[in-house]
Amino acid sequence: MPFDLAGKTLSPFLKEHIPDQYAPVGKNLKRDDKPGAGNALANIKDPNTKYCYRHRPDSKCRRAADETKMGTIQRDLNSLSSADQEAITHVWSLFSAAPAKHRELMLQGIITQCCFPQLSTVSREVQEQLKIDFIATLPVELSYKILCYLDTVSLCKAAQVSRRWRDLADDDVVWHRMCEQHIDRKCTKCGWGLPLLERKKLMAWNRHQQTAHPTPSNRGAETSAEPASAPAQGSNKRAMVVRDGGGAKRSRVNKSSGNGRAQLDEERKFRPWKDVYRDRFKVGYNWKTGRCSIKTFKGHENGITCLQFDHNILATGSYDTTIKIWNVETGECIRTLRGHTSTIRALQFDDAKLISGSFDKTIKIWNWHTGECISTLQGHADGVLSIHFDGCKLVSGSIDKTVKIFSFDTKQTWTLRGHSDWVNHVRIDSASRTVFSASDDLSVKLWDLDSKQCIKTFLGHVGQVQQILLMPPDFEPDEDPNADKSEAASASSGRGDSPAPSPNPTADQRAAFGYGFVSDPARPLPPRYMLTGGLDNTVRLWDVATGKCIRSMFGHVEGIWGLVGDTLRVVTGANDSMTKVWEPRSGKCERSFTGHAGPVTCVGLSDSRMASGSEDGEVRLYSFEGASLEERGTPS
Amino acid sequence: MAEAKPASQKIWLVSNDNATMEVDRAVVERSMLLKNMLEDLGGADVSPENPIPIPNVNEAVLRKVVEWCEHHRNDPVAAPDDESDARKKTTDIEEWDQKFMQVDQEMLFEIILASNFLDIKPLLDVGCKTVANMIKGKSPEEIRKTFNITNDFSAEEEEQIRRENEWAEDR
Repeated sequence: MPFDLAGKTLSPFLKEHIPDQYAPVGKNLKRDDKPGAGNALANIKDPNTKYCYRHRPDSKCRRAADETKMGTIQRDLNSLSSADQEAITHVWSLFSAAPAKHRELMLQGIITQCCFPQLSTVSREVQEQLKIDFIATLPVELSYKILCYLDTVSLCKAAQVSRRWRDLADDDVVWHRMCEQHIDRKCTKCGWGLPLLERKKLMAWNRHQQTAHPTPSNRGAETSAEPASAPAQGSNKRAMVVRDGGGAKRSRVNKSSGNGRAQLDEERKFRPWKDVYRDRFKVGYNWKTGRCSIKTFKGHENGITCLQFDHNILATGSYDTTIKIWNVETGECIRTLRGHTSTIRALQFDDAKLISGSFDKTIKIWNWHTGECISTLQGHADGVLSIHFDGCKLVSGSIDKTVKIFSFDTKQTWTLRGHSDWVNHVRIDSASRTVFSASDDLSVKLWDLDSKQCIKTFLGHVGQVQQILLMPPDFEPDEDPNADKSEAASASSGRGDSPAPSPNPTADQRAAFGYGFVSDPARPLPPRYMLTGGLDNTVRLWDVATGKCIRSMFGHVEGIWGLVGDTLRVVTGANDSMTKVWEPRSGKCERSFTGHAGPVTCVGLSDSRMASGSEDGEVRLYSFEGASLEERGTPS
Repeated sequence: MAEAKPASQKIWLVSNDNATMEVDRAVVERSMLLKNMLEDLGGADVSPENPIPIPNVNEAVLRKVVEWCEHHRNDPVAAPDDESDARKKTTDIEEWDQKFMQVDQEMLFEIILASNFLDIKPLLDVGCKTVANMIKGKSPEEIRKTFNITNDFSAEEEEQIRRENEWAEDR
């Protein structure tokens, strides 16, 4: 290009466009570089057409100058003759002064002239330079949305990228979501499930989010419990959590990120959700890898038959006719409850009382704080094998083949007859007003507490059924191809239950539980799934409504005496002296623990601990939380 | 209620750089914003001469978004609370969408902004998942490289933050 010509075209061009570029404010809109632009909206939103609309000088999307690059360009330019330097600079000035439309045209023209090696340079340069910091540049709610798709590890890496990224990736919005996805459930995304110690807080936070104007005073009890991590409420808490947890958990946060800042800031007075998650994650990791510390409780003069523990105390019952209360932290026996005249076979405690069942045919109610026996219930004609209370109802199972229900408030007693052998285990489900019982007659029965009738019998165990575990509402088993096959073989054709729900599953399910449930559509149904353990060495998973055994869990080589669990894991204790931890959804055994010198007769479980009691007279308490943990047990 | 609206009814959109395009109404209605707008207006007065302006979306991006809507024109409309179920959250992207998202970062950025503005949730989801997948499994330095981010931590800060986040590492 001849220079005079360049000068002629260049100067007016620069003159026209440069002033706009450096004085974008208050610039008039009538300059019209796109004929026929009838789109006022676009013009208003985009007053400076010098750049494409995202490359305005005021836009944070503008790319920063790359010093190294600029240096190279400068050096290369300096190596040229001054005429060439001038020519090239002209081209650049033209381009840099040009409005977006013109720039694009120039680029098109240049690119069409490029040969392949030059295009390759363009491609490489573009690849290198067309990079956008999405997280820092997108509207903040979209950045959160992206971060919410990340897994734990990636989120923690993201927090290390830059200050802006750390602010966003550590935010409570993101980690609260992570907590919701993982705590007390297996995240289908990553297979991780975290214990629920902080559930109370999670629920409080949800409520808080849902209520436009939170009134902490109304929630006095809850909020005051907040800062203390995990207030001890023992098994009662556990039961409560399972019962009312599902509903509260399901009601999700209506998280529109817009409503957030002020409320979120208020939440800052609590621990950040990332910390909550981290602590739970560590415990989850320890469970997964078997890293724990073990404490042994010795003191009974004979085998242990039953146990229960919470954050502070452990209660054990023994063949030696006593009940002992232990300090979980120190391992010392705080108190011995004496009064029964034969083997203790069952116990349950809450904050105020402890109830025990014994071979001496009685049930005793104790104040375990003082050791005083408050009352003795006589009614069974033979030894009491199992007791379970919830609210004002107490259920018991006995060698006399009956199940008895005692109402604390009305002092009434009912007897459920139907089993033809010892009733080893009873569970009450208060919500649906039903009772489950497991018996030496190889069956499990479901009773309607309203009618006092047996409404279902579960058959399948080939050994005495020792334990029942009712699964929480959010438990959902994996599809098991093997079980499907065997099931299809044994249960002829009609297996349209879980995979292909009928048009009205609720009505069908109601019908399955009899008139008491059909006539009252508001009556909650019994738990959907239950696990049972028996002396045939198996744990079985049942669909309660259809009465079908969905799966058998194999692994113990002798009969199962103890079975506890939650959504995350199931723990069994068996005559083979082993304690096993299972993944409940798949039914796979994850780890086996040995150490007892006799059959494991009972097991207990909390978020971060499990306990096993044995005929060797000892209780082993495994803690998967805290310092100085070692890998124990054998992975399966 | 609007008058009869056959699926083949045409709608005209104009990008912010003045490109007009003709799109089936059924396709346009993948955008909740435009769907509601058409339901309110009836859509009868939209013509090639009087197209619906889509500010902030240029021609290239708008064509891309319309391409996505064409391909997904018959998808069932997801329940509004579907997404809020955390358990359904995965970063799996169906194959066609994955190919569709093989674009430069600027285009991806624009698609995300456009789908957010036009309220096309499934497309926004795919866009955000695509970015999430670009972050996943990378070290902080790799992430910086991917998005051309300057590390604005001091060496001490960086070390401290690394230690704070160590717990998540596979040990």
